[in-house]
Amino acid sequence: MTETRMLFRRVDEPGLASIDTYRRLGGYRSLERAFRDVEPEELLGVLEESGLRGRGGAGFSMGRKASFLPRGETSKYLCCNADESEPGTFKDRELMQKNPHQLIEGVAIAALAAGAGWGFVFIRGEYAEVADILDSAVAEAYEAGYLGENILGSGSRVEVVVHRGAGAYICGEETALLDSLEGKRGNPRLKPPFPAIQGLYGGPTLINNVETLSNLPHIVANGAEWFKGFGTEQSPGTKVVSVSGCVQRPGNYEVELGIPARELIYGLAGGPSEGREVKAWFPGGSSAPVLTAAELDLPYSFEGMADAGSMLGSGAIIVADDSISIPELALRTARFYHHESCGKCTPCREGTNWTVKMLERVISGEATPMDLDIIASVQENITGHCLCVLGDSMAMPVGSMVAKFRAEFEERIRRVASDSSGLGANGAAGLHAITGTSSLAPASGPHA
Amino acid sequence: MPNRPQINFLVDGVEVPAEAGTMLVDAAKHGDVEIPVFCYEPKLGEPVGACRMCLVEIEGIPKLQTACSTPVRDGMVVYTRTDRVQAAQEAMVEFLLVNHPLDCPVCDKGGECPLQDIAMGWGPGRSRVIDPKRHFQKPIPLSPLIKIDRERCILCYRCVRFSQEVAEDEQLQLLERGASTFVGTFNDRPYIAPFHGNIIELCPVGALTSEAYRFRARPWEIEDAGSICTLCPSQCNVILTVRDERIERVLARDHPEVDDGWLCDKGRFGYQMAESEQRITRPLVRQGGVLRPASWDEALEAAAAGLRQAGERAAAIVGGQSSNEEGYLAQRILRRALGSPHVESRPRGGAGQPPRRSVGDRVAPDAGGRDLLLGLSRPELSAGVSELDSAESILVIGCDPLHAMPILDLRIRKVVRRNGTRLAVATDRPSALDGGAEETARYAPGFARGFTSALAAEVGAEGYERAPDGLAADAERIAGVLRPGSTVIVWGGEADAALLDCAHMLEAKLLEVPDGANARGLREVGCIPDAGPGLSEAFMGRNAAEIRDGLADGSLEAAFLVNADPVRDFPGGPEWSEALGKAKFVLAISMFENVSTKHADVVFPAEFYGEKEGTVTHPDGRVQRLRPGVPRPDDVRPIWQVLVELSALLGDETGIDSPPEALSAIASEVPFYAGITHEEIGGRGVRWQDREAASSFPSGDGAEARDEVPAHAAEPAAPLAPEPAGNVAEVEASGGVVRVGTYHDLWASEVAEQSPALRFLVPRQTLELAPVDADRLGLAQGDEVDVRSNGTSLRARVMIRERVQPGSGFLIEGTAEANANAFRAGELVEVTKAGGEA
Repeated sequence: MTETRMLFRRVDEPGLASIDTYRRLGGYRSLERAFRDVEPEELLGVLEESGLRGRGGAGFSMGRKASFLPRGETSKYLCCNADESEPGTFKDRELMQKNPHQLIEGVAIAALAAGAGWGFVFIRGEYAEVADILDSAVAEAYEAGYLGENILGSGSRVEVVVHRGAGAYICGEETALLDSLEGKRGNPRLKPPFPAIQGLYGGPTLINNVETLSNLPHIVANGAEWFKGFGTEQSPGTKVVSVSGCVQRPGNYEVELGIPARELIYGLAGGPSEGREVKAWFPGGSSAPVLTAAELDLPYSFEGMADAGSMLGSGAIIVADDSISIPELALRTARFYHHESCGKCTPCREGTNWTVKMLERVISGEATPMDLDIIASVQENITGHCLCVLGDSMAMPVGSMVAKFRAEFEERIRRVASDSSGLGANGAAGLHAITGTSSLAPASGPHA
Repeated sequence: MPNRPQINFLVDGVEVPAEAGTMLVDAAKHGDVEIPVFCYEPKLGEPVGACRMCLVEIEGIPKLQTACSTPVRDGMVVYTRTDRVQAAQEAMVEFLLVNHPLDCPVCDKGGECPLQDIAMGWGPGRSRVIDPKRHFQKPIPLSPLIKIDRERCILCYRCVRFSQEVAEDEQLQLLERGASTFVGTFNDRPYIAPFHGNIIELCPVGALTSEAYRFRARPWEIEDAGSICTLCPSQCNVILTVRDERIERVLARDHPEVDDGWLCDKGRFGYQMAESEQRITRPLVRQGGVLRPASWDEALEAAAAGLRQAGERAAAIVGGQSSNEEGYLAQRILRRALGSPHVESRPRGGAGQPPRRSVGDRVAPDAGGRDLLLGLSRPELSAGVSELDSAESILVIGCDPLHAMPILDLRIRKVVRRNGTRLAVATDRPSALDGGAEETARYAPGFARGFTSALAAEVGAEGYERAPDGLAADAERIAGVLRPGSTVIVWGGEADAALLDCAHMLEAKLLEVPDGANARGLREVGCIPDAGPGLSEAFMGRNAAEIRDGLADGSLEAAFLVNADPVRDFPGGPEWSEALGKAKFVLAISMFENVSTKHADVVFPAEFYGEKEGTVTHPDGRVQRLRPGVPRPDDVRPIWQVLVELSALLGDETGIDSPPEALSAIASEVPFYAGITHEEIGGRGVRWQDREAASSFPSGDGAEARDEVPAHAAEPAAPLAPEPAGNVAEVEASGGVVRVGTYHDLWASEVAEQSPALRFLVPRQTLELAPVDADRLGLAQGDEVDVRSNGTSLRARVMIRERVQPGSGFLIEGTAEANANAFRAGELVEVTKAGGEA
């Protein structure tokens, strides 16, 4: 099994982060073409035609989203969401660290298509080193005339600012990101109005993930038809997938959408260590409902994962093998969202908090199977009722774990209740393997 | 606001008409469907959709939607009680109670608590939560007036939104996040702000409780009594919470045309003054140099005797808190029973103040005070409070609403924030509204007329010379903000013909921020020396300053102070004290002994507004009704009745036997109040400009016969303000000298002193200085200084404010001690460090 590299093409070329190398390898030609030879409307058409879906989690058509922005002379903005905070996701980091100009070129093209004069890259604060790399790249792009006023004499203006976040998962939610960018507490906003109508500073705003924007130079260079040649009909293109957890070769792999998940987990990432079996896996970051070993042969695409009752999300696979306790995995997951809930809306704030307390009782043996019913019901009560998707992000995986591994939860309650020693044999070690590779996994995958 | 089309939609199977764009939660009410809410409160701005209590099902939309943020559309089909919606509602209640202590039996809110009501009406009836709830230290003070119980808080955001989006003090914040979120302030500083009491009323649970009301009553033991707060010109509509014939609390009685449902803390907590132990509750008569309790008969006899002796050499000062009926009867006693025209309700200005401008077509060159007053009071020029909402621009000139009419400050903030209304502020002292203003201009204290004249010249009024460059530039900046035909001018200070000309040129409307709570009503019932009831032609009497001088020089003999404390509240306090000391007879109606009653021979106990029956007139012309909510204590009698008896003793039988009769007497003499009754006024009041009788407003063009002015009445007084020589930049400030301006601080008042809850807010005298002047004078923040002029001296503490114009210094008027009314506005004063040589 091999990768299909588009975004990661020549990613290990020494000095790719510098503009000279990037240009030597053909970089910025798409930008030149877009600014010189293509009308923004036509550009929008190509993006829409390509079927490129957002790589940040929701999977919405990038071109359509851009087309929602009102036309005409208002202050419009482009935000690049580089707040990559979803546990298990570390693809944007490598994309920005190794090939920052690919992103900047994408930002400029998207800004042109959307008619935005300003582009803000909101990068999570923990990515300090990557932010420095981006800053230098932006400076180089300004120097070369690819950013700023009157780009390449086209009369168009795109200013790009790299903004470092202050460390909150919620700021990866697009409207909380806008609030944070405006200098406020990062809380999600009520939608509608959607950012495309009223976003940053009240202006129409297009918000896209790093990977989504990094695709644009390739689409502009090769055309929508070429792009649609990759992947599936509903999920065209390639996807950089972060694989972590109980696998032998964790890292980022770029593959065509639609290949069987097994090829990613076992083929590219090497599968669990010898003698271990996959027990459960998150297909799209920790907020996706978990799938089981029986679902390993499903096509890894937006529609494939949705059909299985989960989601492709940010394209981050976290693998749990048979050494992992699912109740503890559920608690770990719930704790993350409980910690990151902004507290603005009731079901998320109280639901994550209550769920953690109940799961803690499950782990400590102070629960009954009836509590499992309550946990399941609480997850249902959260789902679809929150201001943003953070509440659902806990409710869906936790709900799926209780539903699919209920016997293990019941077993856990029984065993701990009869054995006062507390943690079971499998507990801590397995859990460590998972958490150790979440968002802080080494950027160097097999490409290093 | 443009009329939005009427549409129909279905809610729970019933077709309901509504205005398009109304939020579902409001529109559903037309179909008698209640959708529960916690965070939704349109007065707090855009909906936030945080509590998720109002989730409803809308056909065609897969997810449940928040009814608070979904505008209704034609043909929309909405369900609020399907299984799915009920499950969500029950889930939200269950979630809200995960951390709520359910200590209803010991909670002040119990019985009037939205969380209780909604939990009972929409909750599952039982909770599945057995886990520990979160704990906080509780209750702890959020401010000296509010206790916060963070365990009860359901984090609905209302209080925080009030602080950030209504009061704009930005002090309340949500700290921490998720389930650890709590409401607090930076560094746990006390939340001190003039409107902060509103968050008690906004809180849908018992998390924010009033220090003054805690554990005083349960909802089933109290009665509500609606009235009007007369502690300032805002005249907010209030509900008095009465238990056992005592006022225990004051709540807002939402009136969008008056107060928008907010109260300031003075109005909210000032009711405590009614219970003050220092209150005068029986008549007092001076015997052997001491005021001693007396019977009403004795007191009335003594009062009648004193006034009768003075006859036409009596004068009356009617304080701003007096009702229309009290004012009418007081001026009637003076004019009819005593034959004296010397009645005044305005601390400054009025007759004897010749208009500054000399040419122009709207105000005759020799116009006296009455013509100007008529001009400024014309119905077509009067802006209603809610007209601020639709104006494109607002000019605030010569006043700081925060201190003089606080609720107006919130109103202006609202329209600037939400409607993008353009605001210009022109004042001597930096105003609380500066932050939202597109342009601000500062003039030197005492130079208000100079500025209005410059503005009049700028907007093209005839007869004004272009001002010197700096001043003209300021006026130009201000004028640039104002939209002709869609401007409201909010003005304070002395009546000014130039202002009237500005209004005409800009086709603007006027809203006055007067010195007294019922200033407009008192003027209209005749408590001014320039005009009788209905602003009719009358013998010219003396204004406040002239009355003071007359008492001092013996040309006047008796003073009748009706709810007035001129020594404290009028310019020239020390002179007033001297004048009252020299008067042969002083009769005062007062709630408390004060620096003016010190000179009184007879004192009648005054009513608190919550005990009073009568009417008042809002500065925008809305006649509102005072209703007694509690009985008068002890030997206090209705003042209207006392005045009727006094009038009879002095020979004028009024024939008035009840408050409605007093009002009808007013209506018969004030043509533009004609026919007004208590029933018509009702609970919401009525603007006289909106009634047919408004057409009877006097024209004031000289068509009416002008009576001869008695010789002793029209002695010219020295102008109170210096000539308009220029703006601040041109004021030569040298040595230890600054030009002093005075202002009435919101808390420098008897109300704050007599209400235990507010006492901590009573200010010490401070001198506000610009940083450069502080440097020049070698003064630092907090230094004690002596401020001197012409033998008058007072002690103040230095406060350095960036926005004070160099050369100016500001002192507080109306303080109990070191009162700045000893100085004239614009006077040059010498400032020296306390203890140093003068």
